[in-house]
Amino acid sequence: MWIERKVLAQELPAVAGLDTRHVCELLAALGFPVDGVVSREGTEALDVDITANRGDAMSHRGIARELATKLAQPMAPLAPAEPVEGTPIVDVRLEVMACPVYSTAVLELGSGSTPLEVQSFLLALEASPKRLPAVDASNELLHRYGHPTHAFDADRIEGAVSVRWARAGEALVTLDGIERTLTSLDMVIADEQGPIALAGVMGGERTKVTEGTRRVLLESAYFDAKTVRAAARRHSLHTDASHRFGRGADPAMARIARNQLVERLTQWCGARLVGAWTAGSLPVPAAPTFLKTTLLTRVAGEILSLAEAAEILERLGCAVAMEAHGLRVQAPTWRHDLVIAEDLAEEVLRLRGYERIPSVLPPMEGPPQTLSATYLQRQKLSRRLAHLGFHQTVTYGFISPEADGAFSAPDNPPEGRTLSNPLGLEYSVMRGSLLPSLQTTAEQNLRQGAREVRLFELGPAYTSSPSGPREVPSLALVWGGTLGGQDYLTPARAVREADLTGIAHDLGLTRAPEVRSLGEGLFGLELPLADLPLAGDRIIPTFRPFSRFPVVERDLSLLVDLGQTYEALAAAMRVALPADTLQDLRCVDVFRHRSLPEGRQAWLLRMRFQADRTLVGDEVDGWIAAALGAAESLGAKLRA
Amino acid sequence: MDQLLPGDIVEAGRLFPEALAACADLDALLRLKGAYVGREGSHAAHMMDLLKAAPKDQKRDLGAAINAFKQQWEEALKIRQAELESAKKARSAQAANWDPSLPPPRPAEGALHPLNRLMDRLVEVFRPLGFHVEEGPEVETEAHNFDGLNIPEDHPAKASSDTFYLAAHPELLLRTHTSPVQVRTLLRIAPELATRGGVRFLAPGRVYRKDEIDPTHSPMFHQVEGMLVGHGIGMQHLKGTLEYALRALFGPHTEIRLRPSYFPFVEPGCEVDVSCPLCDAKGCRVCKGSGWVEILGAGLIHPNVLSYAGIDPNEWSGWAFGMGVERMAMMLSQTPDLRLFFENDQRFLRAMGGLD
Repeated sequence: MWIERKVLAQELPAVAGLDTRHVCELLAALGFPVDGVVSREGTEALDVDITANRGDAMSHRGIARELATKLAQPMAPLAPAEPVEGTPIVDVRLEVMACPVYSTAVLELGSGSTPLEVQSFLLALEASPKRLPAVDASNELLHRYGHPTHAFDADRIEGAVSVRWARAGEALVTLDGIERTLTSLDMVIADEQGPIALAGVMGGERTKVTEGTRRVLLESAYFDAKTVRAAARRHSLHTDASHRFGRGADPAMARIARNQLVERLTQWCGARLVGAWTAGSLPVPAAPTFLKTTLLTRVAGEILSLAEAAEILERLGCAVAMEAHGLRVQAPTWRHDLVIAEDLAEEVLRLRGYERIPSVLPPMEGPPQTLSATYLQRQKLSRRLAHLGFHQTVTYGFISPEADGAFSAPDNPPEGRTLSNPLGLEYSVMRGSLLPSLQTTAEQNLRQGAREVRLFELGPAYTSSPSGPREVPSLALVWGGTLGGQDYLTPARAVREADLTGIAHDLGLTRAPEVRSLGEGLFGLELPLADLPLAGDRIIPTFRPFSRFPVVERDLSLLVDLGQTYEALAAAMRVALPADTLQDLRCVDVFRHRSLPEGRQAWLLRMRFQADRTLVGDEVDGWIAAALGAAESLGAKLRA
Repeated sequence: MDQLLPGDIVEAGRLFPEALAACADLDALLRLKGAYVGREGSHAAHMMDLLKAAPKDQKRDLGAAINAFKQQWEEALKIRQAELESAKKARSAQAANWDPSLPPPRPAEGALHPLNRLMDRLVEVFRPLGFHVEEGPEVETEAHNFDGLNIPEDHPAKASSDTFYLAAHPELLLRTHTSPVQVRTLLRIAPELATRGGVRFLAPGRVYRKDEIDPTHSPMFHQVEGMLVGHGIGMQHLKGTLEYALRALFGPHTEIRLRPSYFPFVEPGCEVDVSCPLCDAKGCRVCKGSGWVEILGAGLIHPNVLSYAGIDPNEWSGWAFGMGVERMAMMLSQTPDLRLFFENDQRFLRAMGGLD
């Protein structure tokens, strides 16, 4: 919100002597940071950030009041001479609780225009003056005092005025020229013909003040915050008035702002007061709040004197009664945010300055908790993968239905995972798989000239269920491009599916992983984290003895069918070998060439034996013969 | 004496030194040796044949001449052979020695994501104070995301213009902050709060808000939430903890500043600034010359938040804070565009995330 320095100093004379930087620092320390200062209309305007709970600060007087409290300096007097209220000129009926008080007046306008200094004040706030005194005066009051008012063309009002709920379907053309269809939750000002304003939000076109207006009916009321907020949202109509009523206006300002408006119109254009009156009465203030000494001490972190606290609260406008164990505090009519004792404690600390709060580490009251096994699992996985050359990615949880459809399981329909209000179709489905995002990222990296791409992501994949999307903590990996070839010792080769299989086993996967081909030389793998081991419960596993006798290593070169699986062949050979001495059996080379018999390939199988004694050549020969026999039973032949 | 020998031998003798010098390797030298002093077909063999055939009275002089030649040749060949052998030895020694300045094979180089690294670092900083990690789902209920946090029913953040909702489950949304983890954790541990002696935890995670993607906005980003519940917890404990943590993070000379602010789930509430870690608070582009950088929002837990979870706010109190991870990462690294964090270019990840 823009705050203009000259008007600020009119409300709080002490500000005139402070430099702008000092004013900004004071405001920040009070909880109103200044986002910027601009020079406009021969003055300075401060862009003040006001939190949603402080409707009372949304004006020059509101900001001045905060500074006055902090500086303990007097404000300029507020109330002008009160016009004598008399009998209503127009019947005003308040039919809803949401509008307890409605001050009004009828004036005959004279000739004269908005004073130039008021016009430049409005310009400095980026509010455009209309050069219609009734409109500009209302606008100036809003920015200066924070109380929204309105002027109707009195001659266009038909009969009595009422504040009531709109009838569903009733129409109102608001000042912006848009016809609004009202609901029974909208509070309106209406004459006998229908609504003439959306209460607290915007006036109506039919009764608006124009250059031809001779008589005006003023409105200075108090409207319930929640009702105004709801209406503004319902009609997407956020106005200076709705912002202020919506955050809670000061009901006591209803009469005062009406008086201010009358005074301005009398002075600016020689208006003549026909009559002034008030319908309804001020709402009953909320019960006082008791601020216990113990609570104040706890929040503040030190013992504060009750007298100091009382003095601060009184400066804020509270009525304070000192009692044995604390303060009984009645908040001023403009502070709707002071409801509980903590609110009052905050005010005391805020005005003393947060820099005076002591700094203490909280004492331990119980033993600390360990980190969860699933959290540690992810920490270890990500570090292991980074050491294995993989790059951790972070991608959006929502993807396009197309990308999702290509990877999600058929029993995981996207409907249960679709957003009702996505940023766009491409961000509309909570992904059933992490792979589509990784594939896109990998392709992008390769396009950008990466020789090799190794990526992983840890995050939830979503499964539709009747109660909503279920999150399956998952790991996805992609690997593609060219390995090696970057130094004189490592030959270059394309990344193969088996590379990812090896990673999966390295991470502790015991079953065969389902590596997917994601296009030319790019492979992907996705695993639910539940399939990978958690951090072990035992710090060190039980000792298992190992042999210190020599190892015997033997190779068998076999011709096998192209359709032969290694898993089956190895299983058959293992059965034929002594389990306690066989340390390792693996295929260390695969040779495929047209010089081999058609439909055959050559495998080099390596076996390592070790026992708690020195092995004799004859017995190893026997085992090798048995293993060969087992292989032959599956159609393998010893390669000559 | 030379007149005793035929012209071709004399000519060979004259050419010998030049031919010897031209031998670049042992093979060439052996060929030369064969041609001059070999058993058969060499100049020496040819001379021996001449000697045999020479008349008796000439044999003595001719023999002396031949010997002189042979001796001269053999000696020179021997010296040259030694030279070439030692050169060969030196070369093979060189061949066995690899130039250590050649690029060596390097283990693959991966990286953690910078946002994860930063969150891990925060967890590390808070661990010594007894904080553990709590986590919650990204698809949340309205109750956990808003109601349990004292956020009024008609708060604008609930609007579909700000928060993503699930089409088939209108009560479910993508959490807009990590604060629902507070609600879940408090609800879970409320019955055992006394036996545990309060609770203190961090909740790092991903959150979603309906912002268009641009250099400073992303519909998904990360937050780290911190919460502590105990007896007699006040603003001094919040300040003390944050002072410790932010100094652990940014260095021992870091100063912190609390400014009043408002969040529905805390009372009192504050924004917390740190003295600019990039310029030592001297004033720079990042801190806009002020020497301070806003780093997080915090406050004492609102009694309504404790009550919602079934915790008596008259007995228990606590503090909470929440910080934006991207914002802090961008500030520390001066990364100009938020989108870089979600583009996942390996070069960016290696440079910014790396691995410690």
